[in-house]
Amino acid sequence: MSDINTNIIEVDKLTKSFADFQAVKGISFSVKRGEVFGILGPNGAGKTTTLETMETLQKPTSGKITIDGLDTLSHQEQVKKIIGVQLQSAGFYPELTLIDLLNLFASLYGVKVSPTEILKQVDLLDKAKSYPVRLSGGQRQRFSIALTLINTPKIIFLDEPTTGLDPQARIHLWEMIEKINKRGVTIVLTTHYMEEAQKLCQRVAIMDSGKIVALDTPDNLIKQLLKKGFKKKIEVKQADLEDVFIDLTGRNLREE
Amino acid sequence: MKNNSNLLNQWRAFWAITWYSLRAQTRNMATFFFGFLFPVVFISIFGLIGNSATQVNIGVPNNTDINNPIITTLKKISIVKLTFAKKSYLDKQISLGKIDAQLVVERSTNLANYKVMVLTGNANIQNEQIVRTIVTEVVDKTNLALSGVSNNLPIDLTFMTTSSRQQRYIDFALPGMIGFSLLSTAIFGTVFGLIFLKKTLVIKRMFATPMHPLIFLTAQGTSRLIIVLIQTVLILLIGVFVFKFYLPNGLITFLELILLSIFGLIAFLGFGYFMAGLTNDENAANPMINLVTLPQFLLSGTFFPISSLPNWLTPIANNLPLSYFNTAIRNITTNAEPFSSTFPYLLGLFIWSAVMYILAAKTFKWE
Repeated sequence: MSDINTNIIEVDKLTKSFADFQAVKGISFSVKRGEVFGILGPNGAGKTTTLETMETLQKPTSGKITIDGLDTLSHQEQVKKIIGVQLQSAGFYPELTLIDLLNLFASLYGVKVSPTEILKQVDLLDKAKSYPVRLSGGQRQRFSIALTLINTPKIIFLDEPTTGLDPQARIHLWEMIEKINKRGVTIVLTTHYMEEAQKLCQRVAIMDSGKIVALDTPDNLIKQLLKKGFKKKIEVKQADLEDVFIDLTGRNLREE
Repeated sequence: MKNNSNLLNQWRAFWAITWYSLRAQTRNMATFFFGFLFPVVFISIFGLIGNSATQVNIGVPNNTDINNPIITTLKKISIVKLTFAKKSYLDKQISLGKIDAQLVVERSTNLANYKVMVLTGNANIQNEQIVRTIVTEVVDKTNLALSGVSNNLPIDLTFMTTSSRQQRYIDFALPGMIGFSLLSTAIFGTVFGLIFLKKTLVIKRMFATPMHPLIFLTAQGTSRLIIVLIQTVLILLIGVFVFKFYLPNGLITFLELILLSIFGLIAFLGFGYFMAGLTNDENAANPMINLVTLPQFLLSGTFFPISSLPNWLTPIANNLPLSYFNTAIRNITTNAEPFSSTFPYLLGLFIWSAVMYILAAKTFKWE
């Protein structure tokens, strides 16, 4: 089961309907142990719903999800113990410090952690006694990731982790995600930044209106497109505006 | 084995949420203002209202010779307040009802006798009578003294005082204040607190952990219970030590009040959970909260007794949840009745809260 090539997540014919519309329309895919798997798609494509059904936060209308061999419906609690969850734009208790919050979540998982050790991993040691409102956007996202590490999960789900961040903070977060992945943690993330998917993900699923329209490695997806005779209208430059921006402003984080 | 460790983990989760919500609440200014400062300010005001004693104001024009036995004796009477001022000013004050009387003392031409003239205003008939009685008594006694017949009078008069408990406003208002702060904390705190945590997805994030959802609600309630107990103890301590609030059986009554507060909070929390579960929007919650709390603050005998309400309103007022609580708590304080006298009211409170908890369970929305 711990074989590197086995699938850690199996999603089989998943559908999820709400009162007035069907958000996910019968999708199947699997995530390999140890990979960074991206779910791409425009807003409203069903990315978050797919993620939340895997996280056991929403019940599938039909279909089956297996996580590390556990059915998410019948083994909700065991699944929760082995996953780390970062929600899109989630807040925190405003009156609790980062250390308080880490201790609180450790108790919710029934584990003991060293809050300072975890904060060090996400470069937030100097903010240990700060309140969440005092954090910048990038720091807040890093802290959300710190909370996902508490129960030393096998899989981490990140829902649009870099939305709203400046380029420096985004690069910093990518490095952090890669570092966590190198320790053998499987990562499933959603994004609508193609550059991010290309940089981080071994494989990506592209979703549109509740369906998966493509699933492969970024390279293969590009090759398939080129095979169809696709040509970029403008000539490929050796650098783009982002490169200019980073060159001028540096890679260093801008945080108070 | 596995079940045991699971139970233990849920227990740990329960205490962690209780402890950290308590910490969050103590760091929140709203808790401090509504939970502690308001009740303390209120009972301080109520405490002072009850203590204002009767006083009569008598003006003395400053052309009066004040070195005479009448003025000297009046000065020594505690409920008389003498104001020395110009005649024209005193005339105006008396017509405005600000002083009760004017007193002029003149020496007669032979210098041995005095002439006392009293002009009373009729704005306050009670005070007018008091002025007349006091001045008459002072003049009579002085007359007797000046005539040298103060001893061996044919009629001997003795006044005696027995200790009787003064029913003061604080004794009525303080129990109401406990009810008021219980209901405020249970409803305002719970509804706005939970809606905030729902809206910011804090609850959702917690549900991604193995914690059971009910653990979250019970722990939230427990942390409010602790806050409320601190509030109640604080209100009682200030009441008892600063304003001499009456506890018929001392410490036992004190403990009974704590017990009642626990019942009260658990009952009122039902209302809080029900309303917090209905909506995700503070603006929608606001009118709902006011609809539930305002009539109770006004009709449940918090600031004035239910018996002073119009007759048609009393059957409704008597059966409001806060009325049950207030009546129960006054039974064991103001009325000095045994704890068992509160049972019918606790039953009423229980029925209200059972209905609320059932409604909450049926309608609660986590998102």
